[in-house]
Amino acid sequence: MDNISKSVRKKDHEPKISGESIYVGDYQCAKDGSAILTGKILHSKIARARVLSVEVPDLPKGYFYVNAADVPGENKVNIVLDDTPVYCKDTVEYIGEPIGMVVGPDKEEVERILSQIKVEFEELEPQLDVRSSQKVFFDYEFSHGDIEKAFKEADKIYEEEFETGYQEQAYIEPQGMMAEPEKDGKMYVHGSMQCAYYVHGAIMRVLGCKPDEIHVFQDVTGGGFGGKEAFPSVLGSQVAVAAYKAKAPVRCVFDRREDMEYTSKRHPSICRYKAAIKNGKVTALDCDIVFNAGAYSTLSAVVLQRGIIAAPGVYNIPNIHVHGKAVKTNTSPCGAYRGFGAPQTFFAIEMMMDHIAQDLGVDTLEFKEAHLVKQGDMTSTCGKYHFPVPLPDMINEIDKVCDFRRKHKEYAAPQSGRYRKGIGMSLVFHGAGFTGSGERDIIKAVAKLRKYKDGSVEILASNGEIGQGVRTTFPKIVANELNLPFDKVYYNHPDTERVPDSGPTVASRSLMIVGELLRRAAIKLRSVWIDGKEQEVEEHFKEPDFMIPFYIDKFQGDAYPTYAWSVNAIEVELDTLTGVSKILGAYGSFDVGTPIDYNIVLGQMEGGFLQGIGYSSIEKMDYDSKGRIRNNSFTDYLVPTTKDVPNMVAMLHVEKYPNGPYGAKGAGELPLVGAPGAYVEAVEQALGGAKIHPLSHVPFTPDDTIAQLNRHREEI
Amino acid sequence: MVGGYAPATLEKALRIRAEETVVPYAGGTDLMVQNRKNVEYLFLNKIAELKQIKVDKDYIHIGALVTFTQAINDDKVPQIMKDAISKIAAPAIRNAGTFGGNLGNGSDKADSVLIEFAVDAKVRLMSLKGERIVNVEDFCITRRKIDLKDDELIVEVLLPNKPYKNYIYQKVGGRNSLAISHVAFAGLFEEKDGKIQEFSAAFIADAGRFLRFKDIEQTLIGKSKKEAKNLKDKVIKAYSDKIVLTAGRVSAEYRKTVSLNLLRDFLTWFGV
Amino acid sequence: MYAIKFILNGEQTEYTGNAGDRLLDVLRDTYSLKSVKCGCKEGECGACAVLIDNTLINSCCVAMGAVDEKSIVTMEGFKKTPQFKVLSDAMADFSAVQCGFCIPGMILASHATLLLNPHPSEDEIREGLSGNICRCTGYNAIVKAVKKASEEGDGLW
Repeated sequence: MDNISKSVRKKDHEPKISGESIYVGDYQCAKDGSAILTGKILHSKIARARVLSVEVPDLPKGYFYVNAADVPGENKVNIVLDDTPVYCKDTVEYIGEPIGMVVGPDKEEVERILSQIKVEFEELEPQLDVRSSQKVFFDYEFSHGDIEKAFKEADKIYEEEFETGYQEQAYIEPQGMMAEPEKDGKMYVHGSMQCAYYVHGAIMRVLGCKPDEIHVFQDVTGGGFGGKEAFPSVLGSQVAVAAYKAKAPVRCVFDRREDMEYTSKRHPSICRYKAAIKNGKVTALDCDIVFNAGAYSTLSAVVLQRGIIAAPGVYNIPNIHVHGKAVKTNTSPCGAYRGFGAPQTFFAIEMMMDHIAQDLGVDTLEFKEAHLVKQGDMTSTCGKYHFPVPLPDMINEIDKVCDFRRKHKEYAAPQSGRYRKGIGMSLVFHGAGFTGSGERDIIKAVAKLRKYKDGSVEILASNGEIGQGVRTTFPKIVANELNLPFDKVYYNHPDTERVPDSGPTVASRSLMIVGELLRRAAIKLRSVWIDGKEQEVEEHFKEPDFMIPFYIDKFQGDAYPTYAWSVNAIEVELDTLTGVSKILGAYGSFDVGTPIDYNIVLGQMEGGFLQGIGYSSIEKMDYDSKGRIRNNSFTDYLVPTTKDVPNMVAMLHVEKYPNGPYGAKGAGELPLVGAPGAYVEAVEQALGGAKIHPLSHVPFTPDDTIAQLNRHREEI
Repeated sequence: MVGGYAPATLEKALRIRAEETVVPYAGGTDLMVQNRKNVEYLFLNKIAELKQIKVDKDYIHIGALVTFTQAINDDKVPQIMKDAISKIAAPAIRNAGTFGGNLGNGSDKADSVLIEFAVDAKVRLMSLKGERIVNVEDFCITRRKIDLKDDELIVEVLLPNKPYKNYIYQKVGGRNSLAISHVAFAGLFEEKDGKIQEFSAAFIADAGRFLRFKDIEQTLIGKSKKEAKNLKDKVIKAYSDKIVLTAGRVSAEYRKTVSLNLLRDFLTWFGV
Repeated sequence: MYAIKFILNGEQTEYTGNAGDRLLDVLRDTYSLKSVKCGCKEGECGACAVLIDNTLINSCCVAMGAVDEKSIVTMEGFKKTPQFKVLSDAMADFSAVQCGFCIPGMILASHATLLLNPHPSEDEIREGLSGNICRCTGYNAIVKAVKKASEEGDGLW
């Protein structure tokens, strides 16, 4: 193990474990000592309607009702586009859409007022069916090779549709933001978030003010997983407008049901795949991908981009055509969630390959192995896999730890009795950093180091600690390069007033991109170091020279500089009486390059893998015929507990990336991506294989298993 | 205390129950989730006599305020009940949740109540006027509706004092802890001199009530296993006709199929 | 009328508010004990777990009237104990704390597990922590840490 990989005591361990960390809901008063007003949102109860009138009861002194009319700047929250209003305009577009906010000193009184507000709606027909939606937010298409020729010459053609459901981030700390007007006229906004500068940019527009008239601070944040990428810009704008009107600090912390029902989740998807086979190999793939974006466009553009780029998975298929759309429905806007579009398409391609192999009568893993990409191959977007692809070694590692090949063949034989076994494997990648030239053209990250007279060094960057460990790993890199004791280097939560914009805390980019900036900054500081003097150094993002320029209009070039890889195997025992699939083992080999801290990286892999298993099996969320999400509590949206996957093994395989710090690559999202393919293949095998039970959706629940068994019973 | 009562004796509690409009509060795990406004609670947790587990010739008496954790650790509680209550939620809930509360909240998915249905338990109720002992299937009418008068309190659950040797209990929830039963099954069986002496099958299936059909059970009592085998398909069909389910957390088809699967498995297990 | 009297982190305390008030809210708002986190208010996540008479209870599912004459310990009190130190060090060794929101409840659940069984098996640890949802770690690190604490803290529980 490299020295840098050795685990240290995390910088935030002590305050968190002792309960001393202050999350946004924990402040007793504002920074200036004044009392905090509670804000509660008036949500639409109807999926689509014109708002005719809002009748607010007489408000006691000190209470306010805030709505679109109070927005001093533009009533638009800047995410990728500007279509999300701070508070609704003339219409509401989904159940939960904020109409206004009641603000006041007493929480219960605020709730009482809220319950007395009467909203008169003129109901409009909501668009709830994703398949028939005509409103397309984003539509992308790319291809290479000659797809028509390949299909014409095919021995066999397969076509299948795959579906994935919502996934709720279910961070344990719900969304919460707070805004405090400061004496000098500035607005101070802080809370639970991943991207301080996103919030900063959004609120500038909403308040109509200059960059230095607001500042945004990330409080200790109780989990994000993508859910706190864009949403805090919305909630932050809402509390900022409320604080602006009330001229007092306003805080809004969501309760769990509000959070689950109304905040952004993973996009449900429908992927229609068509494959041409010639001489036992896939020669062409035609993918038609639809993501349900919900009512506003939020991050759907970039989620869809990442999803469609991953459409052919880790396979070298000479001719491909990919068409992806993100369409509007009158439901909660979807957004970022760990994996960011890729889990959906990886599930489709992994199942497609499984099903083709089974129909051709060959082992699914061997079939996949025959198609694996390798170093030097072309990517789906005519870029290049510049670095070694370690999948064959990782497959062997997994095989060794769980005896995959033997079990996979054994369980493929007909089984009888109440309990039946299956094992499945998935092979995936995840590209770190913004898609395409995003890092170079959009983010343009800047990071700084400030050295104080006492020789301590502060890292100035905007990447938020959300549990993934950047408050520890960043200082490790800098301390290592400067040869300083670990406790001499520190990294606080970002305040946009103090730190440069090193980009958002998303896309598995913080460590690989900003970590490398910091490493370079440390080298720079080392070369100019003068004892006893305050010094500052700055580094800017530079795109690696080897990159093939990416053109988003054509989807051509290197979408990512490098890839993290994973191989996942899941073994289940299926109870044919109850439909319950007990997980006998879940095994993951993950290549995220050099782990900057072994424990931290392992914790990311294990946590992400378990989220992926939840996504595959028990995390079910849907909306009803009115557009309402019923699974809006921890009782009705189940996430894994300590007892659901007790036998999860995560292993690290290290393929160093020369342009990441000490060889590190992006890590955070990778472990979630492969779980669905492995889990569903395992359940499918336990059910007797794809010829009898071709499974094509996640989550795949006991309910689905019993339905499959019942249908099969009726058929014979 | 303001806004509630915490009497130390059952007698005082019954007096308050008779004179005031109060909501009996046992473990709180369900009540507090309901988040009722403007109610006064009658806190029962100081009443020692409600926290006892006793055995006499006929019954195992489980006090209404006995927590699931307490019962799991008590030798007097039969294993079939322990099997069920040890699968309730998680430790923090089992530490607070009580037998009285599980009955009193009127849930049709209360795991302890399923066992009470299967074993023909009784519920002892008291008011200042005296006591009533009612069969559990009469006490639990439908979801959120129980036979408890405004001046009454649940005092204890009476489980027939028997060995409970041959039984099957299975719970099917959405995950391995913190799970509400989508389907749960409790079946008891005893044989004597080659004849079926006892046969009981109770279900949780999100049906609005607990399901147990004594008329169907009767068709097997007194039969030899061989005779019962010949009746097996008919019996399962009879259950299938009676189990009529409406929409719920998981599909009605699932709950019905699994209920019948578990019933069939139970019959097979004891040789029918 | 009399106040609700209880011991809070070792201090005799009187609460004069309504008996129906939720313990979670009272601990956070009246006594400023912010280690007690609110994750769901429905007894489904364990973030608000406290010890009542040394037993793990979700404070969101308790009305104040039910704590009369009881002893309550939150992380503010527990962090002063030698058991906390052992658990904290073990958790640090596995970097088991990520976002930190579930962790005060998780530590109290760990302590409660060890109080009942000072040398639990892995399955028993998983059972003991089964009411505490952690979305970050996948639980392995936490479970290993409790196991290690049970060894390092031999005799404390």
